[in-house]
Amino acid sequence: MVNLAVNLGRLNLKNPVILASGTCGYGREIAPYLDLNRVGAITVKGLSYYPFPGNPPPRLREVYAGVLNSIGLENKGVRRFIQEDLSFLSSFDTCLLVNIWGHTEDEFTRVAQELDKLERIDALELNVSCPNTERGRAVFCSDLETLKSIVAKVRAVTQKPLIVKLGPEVKEWEKTLDVLENEGVDILSLTNSFPALFVDVEKREFFFKRKFAGLSGPAIKPLALKMVYEVVNYTSLPVIGMGGIISAYDALEFLLIGAKAVALGVANLLDPALALSVVEGIEKYLQGNKIGNLEDLIGKVR
Amino acid sequence: MREAIIEEKKSWGERFIQLKLKEEEIAHCAQPGQFVMVRAQKGFDPLLGRPLAVMKVEGDSFYLFWEVVGRGTKILASLNLGSKLEVLGPLGKGFSLSPSQALIVAGGRGITPLYFLASHFKKNEVPFTFFLGVKNKEELFMVDFLQDFSGAYFWSCEEPIEGGFCGTVISLFQSWLKDNYLPPGSRIYSCGPEGMLKSLYREEKIRDIPLEVSLETFMGCGFGVCMSCAVEKGNDEGYFHVCKDGPVFLARELKW
Repeated sequence: MVNLAVNLGRLNLKNPVILASGTCGYGREIAPYLDLNRVGAITVKGLSYYPFPGNPPPRLREVYAGVLNSIGLENKGVRRFIQEDLSFLSSFDTCLLVNIWGHTEDEFTRVAQELDKLERIDALELNVSCPNTERGRAVFCSDLETLKSIVAKVRAVTQKPLIVKLGPEVKEWEKTLDVLENEGVDILSLTNSFPALFVDVEKREFFFKRKFAGLSGPAIKPLALKMVYEVVNYTSLPVIGMGGIISAYDALEFLLIGAKAVALGVANLLDPALALSVVEGIEKYLQGNKIGNLEDLIGKVR
Repeated sequence: MREAIIEEKKSWGERFIQLKLKEEEIAHCAQPGQFVMVRAQKGFDPLLGRPLAVMKVEGDSFYLFWEVVGRGTKILASLNLGSKLEVLGPLGKGFSLSPSQALIVAGGRGITPLYFLASHFKKNEVPFTFFLGVKNKEELFMVDFLQDFSGAYFWSCEEPIEGGFCGTVISLFQSWLKDNYLPPGSRIYSCGPEGMLKSLYREEKIRDIPLEVSLETFMGCGFGVCMSCAVEKGNDEGYFHVCKDGPVFLARELKW
């Protein structure tokens, strides 16, 4: 038997495989196809305070080894999630992470307050890096002052472990990481999707109404790995690595460069049970290499 | 995802493909209007499954029929007899199945879920009339599918053709409406290009008869997590998701 448990500060996972926000719905949708008891954690789709309709279609376009999305954070709002889905999700033996966002700093805080009351929720993930928001390109993580203010306000209203999800639009990485450490963030997750473009040649127009969309999937994996590597180099905060993981070996790459856990995104769309094969593949790798504890493997390639 | 083995393959030119696939759960559970996410088993190109409507079920097997419209559907069309596919389904909400009388209006590949529906009606003795419109001679082979519904179908071709109605399926349907009465409890079912569905929805003579349409969109997952397959609600209150709320909708609930 190998021990797959990982420790991310105050957050302890039974294995390192997390379902990424926006690719497993509110849990209920993926549960018929994947035994949620077998994953380390599930990240509930990004919740705002009020329900939000998201972007106009088209919202998705497949490209080589990747997917462009312009969903625009459609969600049912934090209160409906609590009423409709939380008790269902609570029955699974897995950690519950909830991704949260807001149009304003105040909205971030209000969502956090609602969730802070709920014991079953293990951590909150602040989405400050979605490229598909109303403000378009001006994602929160690219403005240090705004980022600092949001994190401070949310930190003030919740004791739960706080994850901040970062993306390629962070401008000054070192300063950003300093701010997040100082404001009491517990964990970092990266990367969100890469701002990207698709042109419809027949129609001679941009495919997405918002022009830019977020690229994810295997195409971004090498880029994500480099980002995670550099962040791990700089900060002592535990990092959840993500970006194009579709196999156990992809996940092991992130773990070897120092990510404490990994999240699967597009993988859940193409096969809702793929996360399980990643868990089993990591287990098999450890057995094959006679490594008893996954923690002993983390950061071995630096 | 489960494995399905290709038991039969038929193709018409390079664009139209029909596969008979062995997979018990879909074969036993699929309802008319439901779909399946399909991936070629080897590798990750393309990444995502493609949503394809079920055309027919038979014992432990089911049939898919599709038109090659891009790389994904082309790669699926290149698979040979005996190869395995990965399938997820049956998915989505299908058609309502108990009208007193049904009118079925299909455009091109839109025939797929409607063929399944008509087979159900035939088996359950629900009276129906099937209207099929094809664009050109190359697509005329689809008329042969309707021979299973002897006497209960009409077809049109937009290209001049001997012995057939020349025009769109909407004009064919309109000419039929002139001479026929629809009793209470009737229902209209349709699947086809967006313009065709729109014309049908706006047809004055059938304004009071419920119209169910099956929609085709890009999908990421097929089971409701990614929210990619959004279509506008008719009441301007956000979006439906074709994979979970549909693919079959009452036309009046949608924005046209």
